[in-house]
Parts: sequence; C-alpha cells; structure tokens
Amino acid sequence: MGEFILQHSDFFIFIFFVALGYGAGSLMERNHYRSIRKREQALLSLPVTTTEHESFIGSEIGEATLVVGSVVVSIDYFKRLLAILRNIFGGAVTSYESLVDRARREAILRMKEAARQQGAALVINLRLETSAIGQQANRKRQVGSVEAIAYGTAIILPAAPGDDG
Amino acid sequence: MILTNIETVPGKTIVEHYGIVQGSTVRAKHIGRDLMAGLKNLVGGELKGYTELLQDSREQALARLSEQARELGANAVVNIRFATSSVAQGAAELFVYGTAVTVVDEMGEQ
Amino acid sequence: MQSKIPFIARSTDDTVNVSRTHPLAELFWMLGGLVVLCGIIFIALGIITDLVVARVPVKVERALRGIALDQYGGERHPALNEIAGNLLAQVPRDSPLHDYEINVYLMENEEINAVALPGGNIVVFTGLVAQVESENELAMVLAHEMGHFSHRDHLRGLGRGLGLAVIVSLLFGPDSSASDLVSGSLLSFQAHYSQDQEADADRYGLDLLVRSYGHAGGSIDFFERLAAQHPDRLPYLFASHPHPDARIAALKERIDSYGYPSQETIPLDSALYDVR
Repeated sequence: MGEFILQHSDFFIFIFFVALGYGAGSLMERNHYRSIRKREQALLSLPVTTTEHESFIGSEIGEATLVVGSVVVSIDYFKRLLAILRNIFGGAVTSYESLVDRARREAILRMKEAARQQGAALVINLRLETSAIGQQANRKRQVGSVEAIAYGTAIILPAAPGDDG
Repeated sequence: MILTNIETVPGKTIVEHYGIVQGSTVRAKHIGRDLMAGLKNLVGGELKGYTELLQDSREQALARLSEQARELGANAVVNIRFATSSVAQGAAELFVYGTAVTVVDEMGEQ
Repeated sequence: MQSKIPFIARSTDDTVNVSRTHPLAELFWMLGGLVVLCGIIFIALGIITDLVVARVPVKVERALRGIALDQYGGERHPALNEIAGNLLAQVPRDSPLHDYEINVYLMENEEINAVALPGGNIVVFTGLVAQVESENELAMVLAHEMGHFSHRDHLRGLGRGLGLAVIVSLLFGPDSSASDLVSGSLLSFQAHYSQDQEADADRYGLDLLVRSYGHAGGSIDFFERLAAQHPDRLPYLFASHPHPDARIAALKERIDSYGYPSQETIPLDSALYDVR
C-alpha cells in the first residue's frame, strides 16, 4: 500500500491538493461571505447608483470626489478542477460564480467604506470592472485570480452652517 | 420589469431608488463546441455556438438582476451597464449592473 | 428643478448570483460523467481498431515500429535473433509473418515478460531470460510472440493504448501529471491481450516450436517452473496472461491430441547465460 502511494505520488499529491483546496477554500469563502454580509448591513444606508442624473443627487452638494475600491481574490485548487471539468460538459461554471460575486461585492464595499470615511452621502455613476491576473487562469501552474474594481463619484454634502463656527 | 441603459425611464418619473443591483454568470460550452469553434477559426464566419452561449449568459445575468430588483420592490432598473471578465478559460463571464428604482407615470400619482 | 429622489435602504437575497448546487455533488456528477464518457470513447476506439487493424497493410505498420520501440528501448540481441531466425524459417511461405522484419531486443527489466511491438519488434525482458533454462523454452516464448504478430493482436493492444493516451491528453493536456500517470500504465496496456488471444498465441507457438525443433520438449517447462515458484501471488506476467496452470493444461492437451514427441532440450547459448 505504502509502496503504491510512493509510486503514484503525484496522483496522491493531486488528491491532497484538491481536498485541501476544498476544505480551506470553502471555509474561507464562508468567512468572507459572513464578513461581506455584516459590512453590507452596516453600509446599507449609503446609497450607490449607476446614474449621474441630478434628480438622484439633489441640490445640496458640498464636494465631489472619486472613490475607488478594489480586491484580488484567488481561485482554489478545487474550484479550478471543477471549472476544468465544467469546460468539458458545458453549462454554468458555478465554482467561479461565487468567486466573481465575492470579488465584486468586496470591491463595492471597499469603495463604500472609502466614501463613508470621506463623509459622503451618496456615490453616483458607479462603474465595475473585472479582470484576471495571470492570463489563462485555469491552466496548470498559473495564478488564477480575479480582480474586481469599483469606482464612482462620492457626493459630500455641504457642512451645516452651524459647524463652521 | 423596465430595463433601460439611460438615466431615466422616458415618460415616467422615478419616485424611489434602492441602490445598485447586479446579475452575473459564468458559463462554458461543452468540449465538442470548443472543437468546432477551433475548426471554424480556419475559415472564419459566425461561431453559432458561442453566439448562443453569450446570448444565454446575457439573458441569465439580466434575469438575476431583475430578480434582485424585484426583491427590493423596484419596478425598473435604469442605467444598466454590461461588462465582461475572463477568469475562466473558454467560459463566458458576463455581469450586468444598474440602479433599481420605482417609477410611476409622469402625470399620475402612482 | 426636481426634488431629490428618496433612497430606500433595503437588503436583498444576496445569493441570486450564485447557483445553489453543492460543489461536491457537482464534482461527483461530472467525474461520473467523465468516466462514462471515457469508457464509451475507449470501447468505441477498441471496436474501431479491431475493425481497422485487420485491413492495415504490414507496410504501414512498419512505419510505426520506431515509435513503439522508443518507449521500451533495449538492445538488439544476436543470440535471441538467431533463435527467432530459425523459427521464422519454419513458418509457412504464405504466412503474413514473412512481411514483418522480426527483430528481438533485450531490455533491462526485472519483470518476467516479453512484448510484441508493431512492425515486428519483440522485446524480451532480462527478468524472463533469468527464468529460462533451455533454448527450447526461449524459442517457445518467441514463437508465442510471433503468434501475436501472425494474428495481429499487437496492433489491437496498441490501438487501445493510443486511444487512452489521446483521451487523456485531450482532457488534461499533454504534459500534465495525469497523462504521465497514464502513459506509465500504457506500457502494460499495450501488452495486454485477451485470454483468448493468449491461448491462440500459445497454440501457434507450440506448433511452430514442434515444426522447428521436431519435438515439443521445453514447451511447458517454463510455465511449470513459474507456477511452482508463485503458487498464489501471481507476478506481472500472469496479470495479463491466463493462469499458468490453465496454459499448461491447454498445451498438454494439444501435445497429446497431435501426438507431438518430447525430447531432450538444447542448453541455453552462453551469451544468454551471461544475462542472468
């Protein structure tokens, strides 16, 4: 038995990585989602829109500034295996859906956090981009990761007249 | 669900907004389609399999966006933007996002 | 001009963009599908090679000989070739065997085995030579491999092996660890024939041995020795071949029914003794 494992060591290393990828990957994903949900609740009162229409902004504008949030999330070994298999059969690559979802929501959250720090009341004209670092990300021996970036214009309300003095 | 990619819904008034909604999807074609597309690359022309794939992806992404908007109680999504990414090789990754709003007819009061 | 649109802060079901299938269930479904798919391709390829193989001219096959031999290596051994040459001289004129250029190679390997490769190359492992006591026994082994050539069994094995290699490199890419794993087991796949094919090759080998040496002496000695050595734990040879007891019984039956005589065997050539 031990001899057999030694002879096919690369196969067992592969199995080990898949199991590790699944275990650690799903644990991290669960934790990440928990943190995303908590912070989303906290930032729920900060409106974000994709429009720049004046009716969303209102007439009281103190300052406008660009806010950006970005994140790079990595694919785990298990997800990559699922994606490779999915490429054979076709259909929804569910293992990457959660990855892209997490990355995008995290980027928006970071942008909102930056906006709140600046005291913004509203973020308008939000734009989202996703890109992959390391081309052909699910090839062997290559870093597979997704980068999400969210940017928009934060509208900061004018300081109340009484605050100046 | 009214979907537009301009800032308003013409002929209607936006009365409430709920922030952004997103829909995304990652889809792949089976390996036979990939092989056929490789062959088609020699002679050029429309890759029907991939056109179909992108269409399906777009529909699914929009359906997810609409579902999210509906849950928020919105009846329209304005200023919709499509974007793509390329994490998975050989798969179409589409995402769509917009601002969920409630609209009423211009004249009436809901 | 217009008053500001009020913002309603509501949280949504955030799982809308993620499918609800369990990743492990997905993995098992897809792995299962993959196994079924590969099985279908493998069986289909096996049937197709079986159909095509009988129609492939030997000339075409000879073009493949270098490729197949490269996987094994080994050196062309003069003493082994002499035995093979003597056997070949007794093969009937109209046999397809004459289209082949039979070459025997000796390869350093502890396995007790010999393989017939496309194009007429036979590779004998040193492990087998170490188990052989007389020239007749070795001739029986070579005649058995020639039986595979005559029935063209070797191409069937190769076709299936190639099919497997094609599937794996299609799925995992040519230089992945999975394809290394499979090409490692490809060696054994190529040498793997059905039990019927082995029995046919045994019969062919026995007839050729008798035609060449005039008697059947030494034809079953080799198997008897192996059967005695490994009464239960079967070494490599028997994994792809019928049980030696079954082979001995079948050979004995043929010797009796044809009335083949049995005489003294010829001792092994000194050049081959050195291999041991």
